[in-house]
Amino acid sequence: MKISKSHRLSRRQVGRVTPCAPPTANQRVQKTKTCLLLLCLVSSILLLVSVPALADTPTHTPDGFALPQSGHAFSFPRDHGSHDDFKIEWWYITGHLFGDDGRRFGFQATFFRSAASPTDQTLANNPGFGHEKLFLAHMALLDVKSGNFIHQQRLNRDGWDAFSATNGLDVRNSNWSLRMTDTNRETMDLHGSFGNETSLQLELQPRKPLVIFGQNSVSRKAADPSAASYYLTFPRLQATGEVRLDAGTNHVHGEAWMDHEISSSQLGTEQAGWDWCCLQFKDGREIMAYRMRRKDGTQDPYSTLAWVSTNDIITHLPSTELKMETVCTWKSPVTGAVYPVSIRLQTRDPQSNQPVSFLLEPLADNQELAGNGGPVYWEGACRIRDEAGKELGSAFLELTGYDGNLQKSLR
Amino acid sequence: MIGLLLRRFTLRHWRSAPRSTALQILILALGIAVFFSIRLANRAAVGSFQNFTGLLSQSSDWQINATAGELPASVLGELRLAMGDKPLEIVPVLETTAVLANTNKIGEHIGARATYHLLGLDLVAVQNLASADDNDRTWFNQQSGATNYTGGNRFWQLLSQTNSVFISPALAKTLHLNLGDHLPVVVDENVVNLEIAGIIPTSPARPQPPENLLVMDLPALQTIGHREGKLDRVEFVVPDGPHADLRRSELRAKIAALGQGRWQVFSPADRRASAATMTRAFRMNLTILSLIGLLVGLYLIFQSLDGAVVRRREEIGVLRSLGITEKTIRRVWLLEAALLGLISGVLGALLGWGGAQFAVRFVGRTVNALYYATTVQFAQLDLTEFSIAVALAVAASLVAGWWPARQAARIPPAQILSRHAASQERHTVLHSAGLGFALLAIGAALIFLPPLRFSGALRFPLGGYASALALIVGGGILCGHLLRRIAKALRFTGQYSLAAKLATSHLMQTSSRHRLAVAGLLCAITMAAGMLILVSSFETTMRGWISNTFQADLYIRSDGAQNPSTQNRISPATWHTIATNPMVADANVMQSAAIEIGGVSTMFVGVDMGFSQRHPNLTWRQPPLDDKIYDPAQNEHLALISESFSDRFRVRRGDSITIPTPAGNKQLTIAGVFSDYGNERGALLVDRRHFAAWYGDELATSLILFTRPDVAPDAVQSDLEAQFPGLSIMTNRYLRTEILRVFRQTFSVTYALELIGIIVAVIGLGMTLSSILLDRRAELTTLRALGWRRHEMARATAVEGALLSLCGVIGGIVVSLGLGWILIYIINKQSFGWTLQFAIPWLALAALGLLVIATGTVVAYFVGRWGSGLPADREE
Repeated sequence: MKISKSHRLSRRQVGRVTPCAPPTANQRVQKTKTCLLLLCLVSSILLLVSVPALADTPTHTPDGFALPQSGHAFSFPRDHGSHDDFKIEWWYITGHLFGDDGRRFGFQATFFRSAASPTDQTLANNPGFGHEKLFLAHMALLDVKSGNFIHQQRLNRDGWDAFSATNGLDVRNSNWSLRMTDTNRETMDLHGSFGNETSLQLELQPRKPLVIFGQNSVSRKAADPSAASYYLTFPRLQATGEVRLDAGTNHVHGEAWMDHEISSSQLGTEQAGWDWCCLQFKDGREIMAYRMRRKDGTQDPYSTLAWVSTNDIITHLPSTELKMETVCTWKSPVTGAVYPVSIRLQTRDPQSNQPVSFLLEPLADNQELAGNGGPVYWEGACRIRDEAGKELGSAFLELTGYDGNLQKSLR
Repeated sequence: MIGLLLRRFTLRHWRSAPRSTALQILILALGIAVFFSIRLANRAAVGSFQNFTGLLSQSSDWQINATAGELPASVLGELRLAMGDKPLEIVPVLETTAVLANTNKIGEHIGARATYHLLGLDLVAVQNLASADDNDRTWFNQQSGATNYTGGNRFWQLLSQTNSVFISPALAKTLHLNLGDHLPVVVDENVVNLEIAGIIPTSPARPQPPENLLVMDLPALQTIGHREGKLDRVEFVVPDGPHADLRRSELRAKIAALGQGRWQVFSPADRRASAATMTRAFRMNLTILSLIGLLVGLYLIFQSLDGAVVRRREEIGVLRSLGITEKTIRRVWLLEAALLGLISGVLGALLGWGGAQFAVRFVGRTVNALYYATTVQFAQLDLTEFSIAVALAVAASLVAGWWPARQAARIPPAQILSRHAASQERHTVLHSAGLGFALLAIGAALIFLPPLRFSGALRFPLGGYASALALIVGGGILCGHLLRRIAKALRFTGQYSLAAKLATSHLMQTSSRHRLAVAGLLCAITMAAGMLILVSSFETTMRGWISNTFQADLYIRSDGAQNPSTQNRISPATWHTIATNPMVADANVMQSAAIEIGGVSTMFVGVDMGFSQRHPNLTWRQPPLDDKIYDPAQNEHLALISESFSDRFRVRRGDSITIPTPAGNKQLTIAGVFSDYGNERGALLVDRRHFAAWYGDELATSLILFTRPDVAPDAVQSDLEAQFPGLSIMTNRYLRTEILRVFRQTFSVTYALELIGIIVAVIGLGMTLSSILLDRRAELTTLRALGWRRHEMARATAVEGALLSLCGVIGGIVVSLGLGWILIYIINKQSFGWTLQFAIPWLALAALGLLVIATGTVVAYFVGRWGSGLPADREE
């Protein structure tokens, strides 16, 4: 109910919003079923907020989880692995791929870990079938030419078929996996599949070093000092490998973005959803930005934008220097949710100190992950254009809380 | 032309004699109904065995089971690693059985409480399997009040509780269970207080889960079943797609290669077939038994069609003189027979469908007692079975109609022979004593045929059944000759009674009808008496075996073990406590496992061999030649086998056999063969010490105790019951009574089948007499003219009926001795491998004979009364 109110407000705010092209008929949605772990996704973006750290951060949540501590010194490759003393953790990869024949794909691969409260754990854990950790994973693949968008979900308990190693990056969920194969070069291997006929296999090689968002290792998300995360990102990965479709195998290459976030924070009740994006410019710079949407329709002051320069310097800009404007909307035929699938991102370029405006234009309207019983959101591959229409690079846009069920699911 | 003839000829006769036509149809329909109901019930009982996982998610493409024992959970990681990133759902399954806990077990029968299937699945992972058609299926959001708790505390709580159970909608309704309610059940030796966490999600696209299905999270079931780290099987699902079949065969081959020697790969169809094999001998015998009514009915159809030929002789003669060919006449007759069969078949199938609802309970009960747990309550109408039943009815009718049709076609044009002359015409087949003796000789020769052997150690005693058939038909033919002798011998009674004089004089001129009626009676009586002999022999043998085998004071097993498929065990700690109880003098601990040897299932049992020496409790078919088998130091490579095992696997004392165990294949030498009437799958016994070493556990299936002479077993029983509420502790007397009760229950349906056969035969006798009286209309008119009163005429017919019955009874009982011998020494031995001791239940046979004679006489009397009023010119 409250969602629809905020939805009205946000629409009024953006004024005249034109729908994008009508939904394409050839949507293919592969469904798997679950009903869990919306928490992870919701938290993921709430945690992205980076504001200056406050003193007196507690070390643990009341239910026994660790909290990010200012000045934490990371140690790799260990910190690429799992941090089981934190409640929530995820490895989130999005990217753009090009086949040898010019065929273009967008992909998303996400591995979540979520833990039960240590205070709830009274029974000894069964090593094969754990009851202390759950692993949720999402994968999506967009075939740009046909507009086919397929996605699938895996949900497994900690054990023989899903785990995250603590000594380095090695996560698995059923036959999907992400592993660091070379710790010196930080090379990673990603394996995924959709149904029986489609699969994705990529080698990911960092083109720019790992960046740590936030202040003093800690990325704050809200006024509550415990609402914070460790936010580690590879802003530019070179991806090579193959995409196998019904028709055959495509050798692909392209670029990807990877977030690794570790937190134990709980949700604020005032948020209705968020719009997050990562932009990779042809000039070698990147932007990570998000807008927290409050229930009253306003932009939360914890919204932020960060630039990564060509020489890896991060510039955080406050909420006041971030504006996202809806260009056109798309209504999902599955959920009926109306998403602002094309947005105009207005901010300041720290290099020139001039206001800049980027248009994010989706490669396909239907990139909604819905119908698998899990959280409903839109995670889409986009082009970046300037106001003149010139293509500046590639982006991913994440839109949540538009199906009106977010708050219900969270309660 | 044929259509016209059918209308003007066949149907006109049917219309003019609706009652006898209806009776004919009814008799055949009854025979078909019995057959059909047994077939449906069998089908339902077999169908109730299934892989329950198919009800919860996509059906598996295949599954693996350990070659022996259980699969360690460590195979899962190994399988995933070997499959790499290939899309394949790997579904571990643990299964056990449970029964509702009962605090008051006094007077309760074994198997009285329903057995529940407790299925352990990874409830988190299983949701990945659900397909698009059941989007709202969910396990975790069912607690009352809130619509969901995605990732909330309730979810974690459910995951870490060991007593959360999901039940079928049907059980929730039957037991009035709600979320959060408790359901105390016995699993192994423990009473577990399960908590209802939800209803098994159902989907219109899938069959409803059976009422007796309980689902738990797999690790929780591992905990309550004390089977940590163990799995019963792993199922596999390959996602659908255009190339899915290719991937299936590729992955299946890979998994089979990976498990060489450790596991075997089966498809769901393989498992169903193997369950069906288990009960196949039982079902086949029941089906054959169900044909009694039909066989007796055949005599009647034959007889009535034959009678119709006689009655319509003149008419046929006229038709022939009108130029209608022999061929056409034969066709019309066969068509009439087929039509009769068709109507009877359809009617019989409908009747049988109703009957199946009763039969299914019997079959279900027997399958439960002897094979595996089923809860089948309803037999579905099945189109294939329906077609088989109708086809059988038509075929039977054609067989019975073939001879009359031939006779009809041979009637010369312008038939002018009198009725009397017609009825004197002899059926050479039925009158040939030579044929009768030839059939008996063939029957005698057939018993030497070995059984047909099929896969799964199924043996079909074809020779035995053929021999029985030859015996019955041959006996029926010879019985006609007996009839004449009896009539001759009783001719003297004519001095005292006119009715007797008339009856014996009629029987001296034995007509084909008389012979057929007697043959039908003989058939029914032979089968009924033969079964009585079999059951009596079985019971005599069982009693002897029980008194020899069950000598101990107390028998203990898990209270959850209510049928042979149970997996409930007693932990070593518990049986140690019991065995070392100061009131216990001696104890035998038994362990067992179902195994497959070359694809044939059997029981592998570990016992204390020394116990059998201290308390001889085995009835030997081939006793051990020395005492080595009793000494654990010397018996590691020795085994004892049951007689059924010996028959199924064709091994004898001195042979050796290779047995798969978790510790690898073991070559065992057979030291002796013992009788065991409790298990037709056969059993192989080794010393428990070796069994425990090979299986790596000491979980006991049962425990046998001798109490100290100075303590009453009942006292020990109540003592142990108080101490172990999850155990069932049976006294010797209780167990013996229960075994005999289950045994009798198993045979209960056969009595119903025999009774139907006898009813059909007695109705047939009535029909025969009525058509004989129709033939004798002229004579009856004369008798009336001579001043015979109605009851006098009825009495004459009653005497005739009594003599026919007497003849059938004498012949039937004599032949039944032969049939009983074939049933016991050939059919039973070859089907189940049990040697029985021949015992004739004289009293029961006498009662059967008197019953048949009495009802035959009464029926004949009433037919006679009806016949006495027949006008001379009435056609039928």
